Amino acid sequence: MSETNFDSNPACTVHRVRETSKFAQWINRLGVYVVVAALLIIGMAVAPTKFLSLENIRNTLQSVSLMGMVAVGMSFVVYSANFADLSAPMIIAFSGMITISSIRMGFVPAFVIGVLSGTLLGAISGFVIGKLRAHPVIWTMAYNFVLSGIVRWIYMGSQIYPDVIAPDSAAVDTFYNLSRASIPIGDFSLSWMTVVMLAMIVLGQLILKRTKFGNQLKVVGSNYEAARLSGINVTGVIITVFMIAAFCFAVTGVFFASISKMGAYYNGEGYDFRAVTAVLLGGMTLMGGKGDMIGTFGGALVMGMLTNIMNLIGVSTFEQYMVLGVAFLIIVWITTISDRKLGKS
Amino acid sequence: MDGKRKLNIPRLVNEYRVYLILVLMLLIGTQARRYFTVLNIKSILDSTVLFTMIGSGFTLCMICGHMDLSVGLMANLGAIFAVGLHTLQGLPWAASIAVALLAAAAAGVVNGILVTKGKIHSFIVTLGMQFVLRGIVYIYCGAGEIGVSGDYALGDWLNHQLGGFPLTPKFLITLSVGAVLALILWKTRFGRNVYVTGGNRDTAWLGGVNTTATTIGAFAISGVVSALGGILFAIAQSSAAPNLGEKGISPLMVALAATVIGGTSTYGGKGSVWKTFVAVIALMAMNSALNIIYRKIEIQILANGLILAAVVLYETIVAYFAGKKAGARAQLLLERKRQIAEPSPR
Repeated sequence: MSETNFDSNPACTVHRVRETSKFAQWINRLGVYVVVAALLIIGMAVAPTKFLSLENIRNTLQSVSLMGMVAVGMSFVVYSANFADLSAPMIIAFSGMITISSIRMGFVPAFVIGVLSGTLLGAISGFVIGKLRAHPVIWTMAYNFVLSGIVRWIYMGSQIYPDVIAPDSAAVDTFYNLSRASIPIGDFSLSWMTVVMLAMIVLGQLILKRTKFGNQLKVVGSNYEAARLSGINVTGVIITVFMIAAFCFAVTGVFFASISKMGAYYNGEGYDFRAVTAVLLGGMTLMGGKGDMIGTFGGALVMGMLTNIMNLIGVSTFEQYMVLGVAFLIIVWITTISDRKLGKS
Repeated sequence: MDGKRKLNIPRLVNEYRVYLILVLMLLIGTQARRYFTVLNIKSILDSTVLFTMIGSGFTLCMICGHMDLSVGLMANLGAIFAVGLHTLQGLPWAASIAVALLAAAAAGVVNGILVTKGKIHSFIVTLGMQFVLRGIVYIYCGAGEIGVSGDYALGDWLNHQLGGFPLTPKFLITLSVGAVLALILWKTRFGRNVYVTGGNRDTAWLGGVNTTATTIGAFAISGVVSALGGILFAIAQSSAAPNLGEKGISPLMVALAATVIGGTSTYGGKGSVWKTFVAVIALMAMNSALNIIYRKIEIQILANGLILAAVVLYETIVAYFAGKKAGARAQLLLERKRQIAEPSPR
């Protein structure tokens, strides 16, 4: 949206184009997909046969599906200028555990209960941040702490297994298959997880760019006071944002529990910061109201492809942390600079 | 802020709430058996070593208006380098500790430069720095624990009890570091600059404060202090693990809890390292009491989280009603807070 503004304002263009390089504009327009393309080239150079094989593409997509789902939820929070929802790990763990605990009722009711309870947890965050205006990072961190205490206290810090809770039940098999089944497309097949992630990204993009709520969210994210004074129900918008985010985390939680075949308080550990990384790589800024879901998908892809390429080369897991951190800082830095040069921030 | 302010009991209570919470925790302690023994008090004070230092660094950055998420990993870095360089490379303790502190200072300076010169939000910078430091730590130690083999002299000295008092050298070191930091913040020009920069960066810059140097300094000190906490913790334990101190609760969480309970403003410009220090002692006193009474770590974690959430909620609700009372000025207040929270072009 800001790009069209930039183009349609001739005074601005004439003034700025002279002093900014074409390169900066270019980078800004394409965003994270420049990095995706670069990684594609690097990958093809490193392992020409392996990298573009259907199997590898499928695996890369699958490896980012869980993080992609979390990132979709996180995108809404970042877009609304509320920094990040750091209670993601415990919502992931909690919804997974609730689903497993209620698996005896059958698969569908358990799934619905798990996702609903996770979403409700998000509504509490939304109320405290939207209505009472708590600092989002501080509150969600504190909330994560409380939830972790509650979950550990309820289950006394132990793991729970669906086949122990409901032995010889068809629901358990369905639950296990949830993350293992795949949909064949020609001679190619996509796992359900990937499909759900892609659906979430498309839906998220539609909500952000094509609905009334999305437009309101953009105003709230860009300038909270302006949104409030122009009559937008800011509290409602922020509560909805946190509920959407928690919904995405909860769905992730059910899939995570299905993959690991158990529920434990440490299930979602690390997903908060990794999802924020993906979102920020995708071109959103902490100031809100900028970027879109396609970018977030690109961010998740970059993280998956980086890991994939480093695995193909044989870089150890520990060195991957460092490469990821440095790449993240550099990419965000370049984005910031190009934004500044183009006068967008 | 009227000139002739009377004795305002609620405000006083709020300002000194951390001492109140400490007394409350000690009251819980009266319910626990053998709580007020020298040995137990010593173990409470010993358990604060890592968290007070991390909390001090976190608080300092928060007063300066930034969020340093990398403090936990800084402590890890310090611990791994100090113990590793001594054990694996055979450096003397003084040299290995100096190298570890320098490494943390360098990481802190990089944080500061990226925040001030790169103009990236501190949340993002320290988030990235977390990954980088974790990578460095894991590469150096190869994901294993590094033990101090044979050379326990320094560790024993740090752990020995001084006379009949419940004090150990390692606690006294952190106490003096905390006191020095508090003095720096209260009495020196740098300290005042930190407060002014955190309060409003633009005003500070217009008022002639070198905000860049102040911010970089705050990040560097935060790194060094956190690393010192990690070093003391690791040497006293005679081993350094890459997931230092993360037995159940991440150190970052405790640092955040102590900072908020100690009354540091989450928007910067207000707070005290000393109160963070006391808050950590209060939390550890509570943990010890709960540990004696219930013997379950889950209950400790829940209690820690509930206290943190209660304090955050209390502050938020007070601010909410104050904003309602202030009426039209509330939006000005919020707008000001937002301006501080967001990085502005100088």
